[in-house]
Amino acid sequence: MLTLDGVQVSFGGVSALKGVSMTVSAGETVGLVGPNGAGKTTLFNVISGIVRPTAGDITFRGHSVLKAPEWKRARLGIGRSFQIARPLHHCTVRENLIVAQRFGAGRVDHERIDEILDLLKLGHKADRDAVSELALTEHKALEVGKALATNPHLLLLDEVLAGLETNGKRAFMEQLALVRDRFNLAMVVIEHDIPTISALCPRVVVLNFGEIIAEGNPGAVFRDPNVVRSYTGEAAA
Amino acid sequence: MKRFLVPAALAVAYVAVPLAFGGNPYVMGLIVAALTIGGIAVAWALLGNLGGMVSFGHAAFFGVGSYTSAVLSMKLGVPPLAGLLLGGLGAAIASIATMPALRLKGPYFALAILAYAHIFQILATEMTGVTGGAGGLLSIPRFPTLLGVDLGSKTGGYVIILTIVVLSAAAYAAIRRSAWGLALKAMHDTEIATRVIGVPSTHLKAAMLALSAFITGVVGAFNAHFINFLEPDYAFSGAWTVLPIAAAIFGGYRTVWGPVIGALTIYLLDQLVFKELMPHGHQFVLGMLLVGMILLSPGGLAPILGRRLEGGQRHAHA
Amino acid sequence: MLSLTLQALFSGVLAGGYYAMVAVGLALVFGTMRIINLAHGELVLLAAYVAYAAESQYGLNPVMAIPFALVIVGASAALVYALLSRIDQDREINSLILTFGLGIILTNAVLMIWAADIHSTTAPWFQESVVVADTLFAMRSEVVFFVGGLVLMAGVHGWLNHSWQGRAVRALSSNRNAAKLMGVNPRRTEILSFLVAALLATFAGIAIYTGKTIFPSLGHVMTVKAFIITVLAGMGSIPGVLIGAVMIGCIESLTVTYVSASLQELAGMILFLVVLFVMPSGLFGGRKAIAR
Ligand SMILES: Nc1ncnc2c1ncn2[C@@H]1O[C@H](COP(=O)(O)OP(=O)(O)O)[C@@H](O)[C@H]1O
Ligand SMILES: [Mg+2]
Repeated sequence: MLTLDGVQVSFGGVSALKGVSMTVSAGETVGLVGPNGAGKTTLFNVISGIVRPTAGDITFRGHSVLKAPEWKRARLGIGRSFQIARPLHHCTVRENLIVAQRFGAGRVDHERIDEILDLLKLGHKADRDAVSELALTEHKALEVGKALATNPHLLLLDEVLAGLETNGKRAFMEQLALVRDRFNLAMVVIEHDIPTISALCPRVVVLNFGEIIAEGNPGAVFRDPNVVRSYTGEAAA
Repeated sequence: MKRFLVPAALAVAYVAVPLAFGGNPYVMGLIVAALTIGGIAVAWALLGNLGGMVSFGHAAFFGVGSYTSAVLSMKLGVPPLAGLLLGGLGAAIASIATMPALRLKGPYFALAILAYAHIFQILATEMTGVTGGAGGLLSIPRFPTLLGVDLGSKTGGYVIILTIVVLSAAAYAAIRRSAWGLALKAMHDTEIATRVIGVPSTHLKAAMLALSAFITGVVGAFNAHFINFLEPDYAFSGAWTVLPIAAAIFGGYRTVWGPVIGALTIYLLDQLVFKELMPHGHQFVLGMLLVGMILLSPGGLAPILGRRLEGGQRHAHA
Repeated sequence: MLSLTLQALFSGVLAGGYYAMVAVGLALVFGTMRIINLAHGELVLLAAYVAYAAESQYGLNPVMAIPFALVIVGASAALVYALLSRIDQDREINSLILTFGLGIILTNAVLMIWAADIHSTTAPWFQESVVVADTLFAMRSEVVFFVGGLVLMAGVHGWLNHSWQGRAVRALSSNRNAAKLMGVNPRRTEILSFLVAALLATFAGIAIYTGKTIFPSLGHVMTVKAFIITVLAGMGSIPGVLIGAVMIGCIESLTVTYVSASLQELAGMILFLVVLFVMPSGLFGGRKAIAR
């Protein structure tokens, strides 16, 4: 469904991604891990169109999306969340989803909106202001909700579980699994917590200094000495 | 309470005002002029509130609209009522030339539009073959008599401009409530967040610019056929920018009716009071009102009145 | 033909001198506050009218009026600053409208006090023509204020680069948060930038009064011109702004010489739009991008 081919990104001479190639198949859930600054968010930015790669190609469902602006990619079915939540200003939670449906999916389907609110446990906050009246978990849920409302085929989740305590994390993870199965989504999930990622993702990709240093099933990958070193290296620094 | 406000206001506007002042061309003329400013103010506020863009160049759209309709009716015999729409269309097309400015931020956009206004004015002065140049156009056709109503009279003109303003405000209100309006308002603070959920933000802004120009052009066309005379310095005068801005800010540019209320208040005050008190530089007071309003109540008059009406309930932003 | 062109360029360069004084002030304030002061040109206008009032009422030589103009323009600039700093929400839109309103107030105050007539100095000394390099003509005022303006701008340039306060202005302009961490007092620095802008505006105003003609809508014209110049030059440096100003001056005077006086403003405006769209960071590739 999604193929990255030799994607490179540099910011004023500093290269953030050094030729990343990977694929995500329909319905698959992939974990994306790596130390801070590894380039995970940048990879999402490239896929969703916010950052233009300096080299490489991105194909989604058979077409190169390299030249498509963010909004076109959203309409093609790439949904994403932001690491730091970006709710729409001056809008209620429901209005956030209405805008996403109207523009991302082409028409407003109130049943789907109610279903999303329900799945993400946002029903009781539906008519509250999205910026000022939500708790941390609800902000994260709304990030996912906005992306879901665009009727995506692929969902990119940037640390949506970060900052939650263990129980909250497990509960939210179960919601995500439900959402994925309900809407038949492929997902790429950035997450630091190894047990969480191992439980949610049959396959993980490890990024370090803008390069993929390992990929495969979580059990094997997290025992890979390279991967262990990249993490302990970061801990030491 | 609020539900009856708009129908009641419309009834007063369409029935009571002509009955009360119809016999007094001077007062009717003043009200028409105030509504002319009000129409531009609505268009300006739509761009400012929904598009997040401050324009110092709406005089350009006003001028293009008035010349388009005036020239078409004089040279090709287009009926003035159709000319209204064509004037709007002309201004909307002119706004396409200004669209590269959309990628500019705040002051750069504002002054780029100002530059366009200057350029349009100079072009209108130089293109003497079409516009009559600095000498101007005389005897621009007046509005016809329709169903026994003389639209060319002061009262007829009042009904036309009132309808233009009401339709513009209704369009503005409808957009503001729609997903378009939500997306536009969200865009100022979080443009990227709107784009990744499928909002083509630049297209939306362009659409608002075109619509704002269209409304301003229609108002300009109306004015041309109402006063039957045009010259570049008048049609592109900075006053067509300053007065609407003052009106929109004074009334509250984040509300739909604020700009209209502001225009009626400001224009009538200006003409009846300030101009009498100080024949030179009476715009001084407009400046004071702008400054005072921005400092004391940046939301303008309408939110204050609105709060009164709703018994002090929370007033949603824009 | 050649001599006509040379003469036009010479006049353009001289005009560029006072345009630059206005533009540097606008850019300084923009640097520290991130606000375009749309009443900036009206400060220039005010200085010019103070000189006019002093000359017409008390027979004071325009140069002697400079101290009075400095006080009045400085106080007005401080007032503009005080009002601006009271804005707390929607700063971008509200500051534009506020300074726009202040410009209207100043222009109309001038209009009320002195009416719409055109004025110019009556002191013949300024208006006598001088010949430079045997062939180029100018009014004495133009030459005097061009040289004076260069000296003044060199002074401001030196102040920005070598004095402690000037460095504070530059630090605040390039990175507000870092400047605060380094102990720069933002309010004091902002006021300072306003006052230096007022100083430059005052000299520009006197220059215009003695070398050109003044009228109430001049303030608006000067604001727009200064803005155009800063767009051309990027907001970056005083030499850059000076070059931009000279360019605008030359383009205008060439247009007047070869095309038509009524198109004088048009050339600058079109150049402005072209540069804005083609090279958003200015002709000299300033760091501060203007566009998104
Ligand atoms: N817009 C940007 N401009 C400059 N550098 C950036 C930008 N975005 C990311 N970077 C740099 O790219 C590298 C990767 O960042 P990021 O993708 O955010 O890492 P991660 O999400 O894995 O923590 C970092 O060195 C970061 O500083
Ligand atoms: Mg990240």
